[in-house]
Amino acid sequence: MKTNFLKVTIVLGLIVVGLVLGGCGESRSQFAGTYKSEKPYVGKDYIDLDLQENGKGTWVLAGKTVEFTWVVNDGKIFIYTKPGAIIVVTPSEGGKMLSADMTGDWHPGCPPGNLCVIFTRVKDGG
Amino acid sequence: MEATEKPTGAAEAAGLKLCQLGHEVNVPAGARIVSQGEDPEFFYVIQSGRVRVFRETADRIQTNLTELNAGAYFGEVALVTGQPRSASVEALEDATLIKVSKEEFDRLLDQNPQLARHIIQQLAGWLVAGDRRLETEVVHQVKLRQLSWFDYVLMLGLSLVLSLVVNIYNDNRIPLIHGWGDKNVIPEIALNQAEEMYQKKQAIFVDARKSAFYSQQHIKDATNLPVILFDLMYPMFQFMVEQEGKDKTLVVYGGTFSRRNDIDLARMLKHKGVKNVVVLKEYAAWAKVFPVQEKKAGEAGSLSLGFAGLLEWLPLSIFLFMFIPRIRRSPYLSVFCRVLLAAIFISFALSKIMRPAVFALNVVDYNLTPAWGVNLWSLALPWGELVVGLFLLLGIRTRAAATLIGAMNVIFIVGLVNAILHHMPINCGCVGEVGEPVNWWKVTKNTGMLLMCIQIFLYDRFMVLDRGGFILRDRKI
Repeated sequence: MKTNFLKVTIVLGLIVVGLVLGGCGESRSQFAGTYKSEKPYVGKDYIDLDLQENGKGTWVLAGKTVEFTWVVNDGKIFIYTKPGAIIVVTPSEGGKMLSADMTGDWHPGCPPGNLCVIFTRVKDGG
Repeated sequence: MEATEKPTGAAEAAGLKLCQLGHEVNVPAGARIVSQGEDPEFFYVIQSGRVRVFRETADRIQTNLTELNAGAYFGEVALVTGQPRSASVEALEDATLIKVSKEEFDRLLDQNPQLARHIIQQLAGWLVAGDRRLETEVVHQVKLRQLSWFDYVLMLGLSLVLSLVVNIYNDNRIPLIHGWGDKNVIPEIALNQAEEMYQKKQAIFVDARKSAFYSQQHIKDATNLPVILFDLMYPMFQFMVEQEGKDKTLVVYGGTFSRRNDIDLARMLKHKGVKNVVVLKEYAAWAKVFPVQEKKAGEAGSLSLGFAGLLEWLPLSIFLFMFIPRIRRSPYLSVFCRVLLAAIFISFALSKIMRPAVFALNVVDYNLTPAWGVNLWSLALPWGELVVGLFLLLGIRTRAAATLIGAMNVIFIVGLVNAILHHMPINCGCVGEVGEPVNWWKVTKNTGMLLMCIQIFLYDRFMVLDRGGFILRDRKI
């Protein structure tokens, strides 16, 4: 009976470990780098986006720097800000272009207008 | 049971003269000597080797009764009672047995009162032992079905302690009560006063809600600065304010019971040095007073849940199983429900457990939680899902775990139905990193999970560590 219980516990433990590891996200290396917005945001200033390979990043707009963390999941980049926003970024052209959805509502694409910001890569690595 | 567990020489001690009885047979290891249910024809005495006595159910679940060594005997009960064999006997190693026919055995009993008395004593002993075992099993079963406050305190306490401890060391930690101790009091403005300023264009109206809420309905010409994107969007907002008129009052409004959007945004603006910031006094009344721009609410954007999304459809199978009484009451179905619910709740919990701030904003969107409860709920709920999910998966206190998961499902269903009926453009918030649409399918899936909890509560009896101890499988008495 004890052996059975041990076996069951081991199997279930492995399931839990699998679930935990499954939630760890994908490699960031492909998208790490420095990006610049294609157009000035709201016609005012460009946004500099730096995605570091260690999962940290910065967003610089009008001289103001905002730090965030980021992960890659299912081919999309998820940017997490300190106040709790998630910005879903869709890479294209092998990561050379990024399209950031600024609605903060996990919109699958980019709505027209200022709520969608297109970035182009200016430097590889982070 | 029809075997004696006696030390070597028990047969001789009971008065048997082996040399005068039956004939010798050799049995290889693994061979079945006696089968449960067959008519009795022989009595056996073990000369050498070892045998196993066991019972077996129709679905091949075996219960070991005893092991017998050289000198012991078996097969006498069925011969005495005239009933079919009550147990099976199998050789554990090569054995040599004396096989005694029924006629010889009857003659032996007639001539050997010492053996007859020994068998009677043996049977009486088994009867008493059987009663004790029955009592133990009944107590076990009763305990198994008992619920205890301890179980709930254990699971909820563990969840709370873990959530608080992990929050201390989490880089994304959040305060237990949002805004607690913040002395930056934001002045409020009455609706009529704000309306007057609006008419005279003396104020800039700022909608602090997420863009989906803003798109659905907002005060005409109001600007949207979602509180969650404040850091990223503030430079542009500042630029816009400068263009519109630096001296104008900023009237911030939201729309949630917790006031997390409007008051938070006003505080952030104050921290940035903006002076003329006020919030609307009645957080939800602006739609009736001010001219509004509105758009029919579409379904909020969402991303694929992947594997978790597929898992989430499986609870709908319970609606099918419910119509098959034999399956509906099956403990195997309980195990299926347990593993499935555990997988769903654990994976969903892990996706949001380290980012409570994100989940807190989802909680705010549902507009059902007061300000003081948002962060506490957002911290404790994912840990509750994880802990209770693990209890279900491991089969520990499953009835109590099922009631807790069921209670969570009831809360989720209420929240979802409320959101649907009020056309809230929100994401479910069930999984941390992706948005899941709030719709009637989601309600149905949660109802399926609720039914699964009820099934576990009523019928779970397989691989369970409960108050009666661990049982691999429930045995009916």
